[in-house]
Amino acid sequence: MNARSESGVLLRDIAYSRSGDKGDISNITVIPFDRSDWDFLVENLTTERVAERFAGLVTGRVERFEMPGLCALNFVMYGALDGGVSTSLRLDPHGKSYQSVMLDIVLPR
Amino acid sequence: MVNSSAQNPQVAPGGPTVRIGCGSGYAMDRLQPAIDLAASGEVDYLAFDMLAERTLAQAQMRKNVDPATGYNPELIPIIRAMAPFVDRGVKIIGNFGAANVPSALSATVEALRENGVRNRVVAAIHGDDALDALRDLDPEIPDLGVSLSELGERVVSANFYLGSEYIIEALRQGASWVLGGRIADAALFAAPVCHEFGWSLDDHDRVAHATLVGHILECSTQATGGYFADPPRRVVPDLHRMGFPMALVRDGDMTITKLPGTGGIVDHRTVGLQVPYEVHDPSAYLTPDVTADFSQVTCVDEGPDRVLVSGARGRAKPSKVKVLVGVKLGHRVTAEIGYAASGCVGRARLAADTHRESVRYVDDQISEIRYEVVGLNALVGDRFESPDPAEVRLRMAAHCTTEAAARSLATEFDRLYIHGPAGGGGVVSDVKSMIGVYPVYVDAGLVEQRLELVES
Repeated sequence: MNARSESGVLLRDIAYSRSGDKGDISNITVIPFDRSDWDFLVENLTTERVAERFAGLVTGRVERFEMPGLCALNFVMYGALDGGVSTSLRLDPHGKSYQSVMLDIVLPR
Repeated sequence: MVNSSAQNPQVAPGGPTVRIGCGSGYAMDRLQPAIDLAASGEVDYLAFDMLAERTLAQAQMRKNVDPATGYNPELIPIIRAMAPFVDRGVKIIGNFGAANVPSALSATVEALRENGVRNRVVAAIHGDDALDALRDLDPEIPDLGVSLSELGERVVSANFYLGSEYIIEALRQGASWVLGGRIADAALFAAPVCHEFGWSLDDHDRVAHATLVGHILECSTQATGGYFADPPRRVVPDLHRMGFPMALVRDGDMTITKLPGTGGIVDHRTVGLQVPYEVHDPSAYLTPDVTADFSQVTCVDEGPDRVLVSGARGRAKPSKVKVLVGVKLGHRVTAEIGYAASGCVGRARLAADTHRESVRYVDDQISEIRYEVVGLNALVGDRFESPDPAEVRLRMAAHCTTEAAARSLATEFDRLYIHGPAGGGGVVSDVKSMIGVYPVYVDAGLVEQRLELVES
């Protein structure tokens, strides 16, 4: 494991991500570069931390699914896209940029 | 066309292989990578996914204006490009028909003939149009909390998501080109796999495996390095000329790869990210063919730009089928103006206040209006506010019940040049009709499909 400062671990330094949309639901997948960081992510990248990061953007609940074969965490965020791509007035109605917002989360060391 | 590895030494060992390429990932995708795949001789099928959630409702609106339109506007260029390869035996499958399958069928037959393709069977799959069936049923639209009939003439389209069954039947009857309307994205790819291997649609694990092929390929370069680059950590070579993905599918696993010499990258990261893409619970991904379980899928690098994928499981398909209903919702207007240097955020906010007051006279026709400062809070929301950047754009977006009101908002925004704060430049604005798309789940027994075959 690398890139851990005094203040914490920047998710961007240990993982990559992808966001997708379906209706008003955004899902963001997070996968560590190094498989040895999987347990750390499972323990620390909680739905609470993700919900806190997206407060103001996401109005509904956040769920998390584990995909151990890929070392992937799949976050599903409801009420995430201002009603959904087809009617949202947001600049990024798909939430494509959410994957980058996710990676700025700082996890405790 | 199932190749054994003995006859076809370039494919990986491990039994018979079906070779499928992605032709497009959305309605206006690049054509050259599809041409490259078709010309390579490395794929037996090319599947084109041409529909996103909104595409069909928009196509229906075009058809309402001109009944001869409503199929994919790129269909003819695609046929022109693919004709020589269809003649050599490459088979094409796509949801090219959008809102007008009959017209797409006749246009396809004609264009194939014009391009020298004779005696090939073109198949059209009818039956995705759900409007009549839904009007009889009059279901509630959960997202809107009203019944279909309450929306009256605002309902412009309703389409069942169709599965693999009729594509397989078309291929069985010798079709070289298969087209339809709202065929589920993954089914376009899953069908030729099931057809070539002779798999029954009741063989859930195998259908889930075939569905995973489609799920990985259906967004074109998202499996080969698109939507991934983030230097310096994530570097993708030659983004401007990435190859489209192809799958060498075997019973139990598959190799995802791309043509040598194309840009992009195929590895466990680019393919692995695509497995959960737009999937919610990975153990229950619902499609018209199967309830797929991708939760145990693995992606392993087996060589440069080659990834071995396996592990999909399946259960019976859902008893309900998804219908997407398109609803006219007035007009959307967006506009932007730029401000620079010290105080730019303050002037942008003053411009927003000025514009808001200037359009009070149409308030009764504005259902929603928002202002945001691009460079500050447009993508991430106010909670991530930071100091004044060197320049910003004020963005206004509104939803109006009338087109006239939307145009008034655009005109008033334009007037910020001279009536607004100092130094506002580069106004752009846009007014579009707005169509909301909403899912409804109905009994799968309501779907009545029909196959039409025509020889070129």
